[in-house]
Amino acid sequence: MTTAIDVTGLRQSYGDFEAVRGITFDVRQGELFALLGTNGAGKTTTMEVLAGYSRPSGGSVRVLGLDPVKARRQLRPRMSIMLQEAGFLGDLTVAETVELWRGMAKDAGREPLTGNPIELVELTSKAKVKVKQLSGGQKRRLDLALAILSLPEVLFLDEPTTGMDPEARQRTWEIVRSLREAGTTILLTTHYLEEAERLADRLAIMHEGVIRIAGTVDEVVATSGDQLSFRLPERHELLPAIEDRPPSIAGGRAAYKVYGSAHGAMRELLDWADKYQVDLERLEVRPGTLDDVFLRVAKEAK
Amino acid sequence: MKTDALHAVRLARTDLKLLGRNYVALFNVMVLPLLFGFLYLQMTEDPTFVLSGMPGILLIFTAFLNLVNTFTARREELVLKRLRGGQSSAAAIFGGAGLGALAVFVFQVVLLIVLTNRYAGALPTNPVPMIVGGLLGVAVFALLAAAFSGITPSAEMAQLTPMPVLIVLMFAAPLAWPLDQMPAALEIVSRVLPVTPVMELMRAGYYGASLGEMSVYVATLLGWVAVSALLVKLFFRWDPRHN
Repeated sequence: MTTAIDVTGLRQSYGDFEAVRGITFDVRQGELFALLGTNGAGKTTTMEVLAGYSRPSGGSVRVLGLDPVKARRQLRPRMSIMLQEAGFLGDLTVAETVELWRGMAKDAGREPLTGNPIELVELTSKAKVKVKQLSGGQKRRLDLALAILSLPEVLFLDEPTTGMDPEARQRTWEIVRSLREAGTTILLTTHYLEEAERLADRLAIMHEGVIRIAGTVDEVVATSGDQLSFRLPERHELLPAIEDRPPSIAGGRAAYKVYGSAHGAMRELLDWADKYQVDLERLEVRPGTLDDVFLRVAKEAK
Repeated sequence: MKTDALHAVRLARTDLKLLGRNYVALFNVMVLPLLFGFLYLQMTEDPTFVLSGMPGILLIFTAFLNLVNTFTARREELVLKRLRGGQSSAAAIFGGAGLGALAVFVFQVVLLIVLTNRYAGALPTNPVPMIVGGLLGVAVFALLAAAFSGITPSAEMAQLTPMPVLIVLMFAAPLAWPLDQMPAALEIVSRVLPVTPVMELMRAGYYGASLGEMSVYVATLLGWVAVSALLVKLFFRWDPRHN
């Protein structure tokens, strides 16, 4: 599969502050790649460098094989960005705003999206309303409409669903899925792990300017391991080490992290319970989640 | 190039639409300079001289002050960032702003020509220097506005930072008195200001001027275009956070 976005050793500094510290990843054509991370992890900086807003301080980036700054003119009509924060001309109506952007996409030789982008993001009832009168969530939907109306080959979405209500978020996910199915390469940053889990083919978790872990959702989640937990027994001083790891104890429950098959660990635990006549109340096995990985990454870095 | 031109026209049309919806900006651009002109008219016995030089003053309001405000507010509200991330090039974005200012300026100059004819019975005989002066003048003041917006931290400050420039231009411009009747020091200052060649080229449309004189004015304006473009490169910012 062809690489649509290629990032090699990217570094980006603002004065003495190094926001991105040598990251490397690639996004294949037609793939949806999610960049996750805490606030200040460097996700937006990475995206803005890829969209050609600034030159990297170090390393190299290529979008569709081109340098986003040097080849801005060739690249711009083929890509689009939904920024985390970007203003509107507040005195224009929603319809006028879309019309202006659609016209500019057309002038640049793009075949605009068939159908009505206002309808697509469910802002039809607001078409004649001035943009400055929209709520935060409605502005995000308008943002999305502007980003997709030129049917880009590469789409950057920087926290696209922040401020949206659950219904609008679902609708946005549907739109993003349909764009990916149509072949658009998408780089997404988000704080909502569920969003990444549902949409992404692959993802990377950034922390303090560095990629800590990357892979498919399953690969990344597998690094967390399953969790085996039960109510803390009275004689908990006897609790064994399972697979050579002691339990963690919190909130009246004992829990073990299990990597690989949970069968062996479960057998080991049940054997121990039989031997010491301990009743394992409310025993459960929960598969690892992206939340677990995310929290672990943030914790490990502290 | 063609795309840039089409984008600039679209952005200029949008700017005009927005100007029509912003009554404060409309007053500042359309009415305020005419009030200044009326004040100057009281100081002279030659209304044609004042009215034919008025386009220079109009440019200060229409292209310079208005665009310093526009660029600064749009940077602060992250509109410039959005435009920069869209299909348009920097040239189209600056061109759009300049084109919008030019459209307003042309309307004002036509209005002035009608007023001059009504008030003083004079009509321009040579439009060529007027057109050249107008086009170069808009380019200079639009670029200066972009540069000034770069050193203006907020939309509120956009009312203040251009004030020193406004004061110098208003008082040193040869609006009520010809250059050769000014005190020597003031004449030297006036000759190098970007507003003076615009006024003189506009007046050349009424009174005529030698090719040599007009060439000096055009060269001065071209010099200012180069200086302003350099200032834009040095100071203009698209994003309030990073340069």
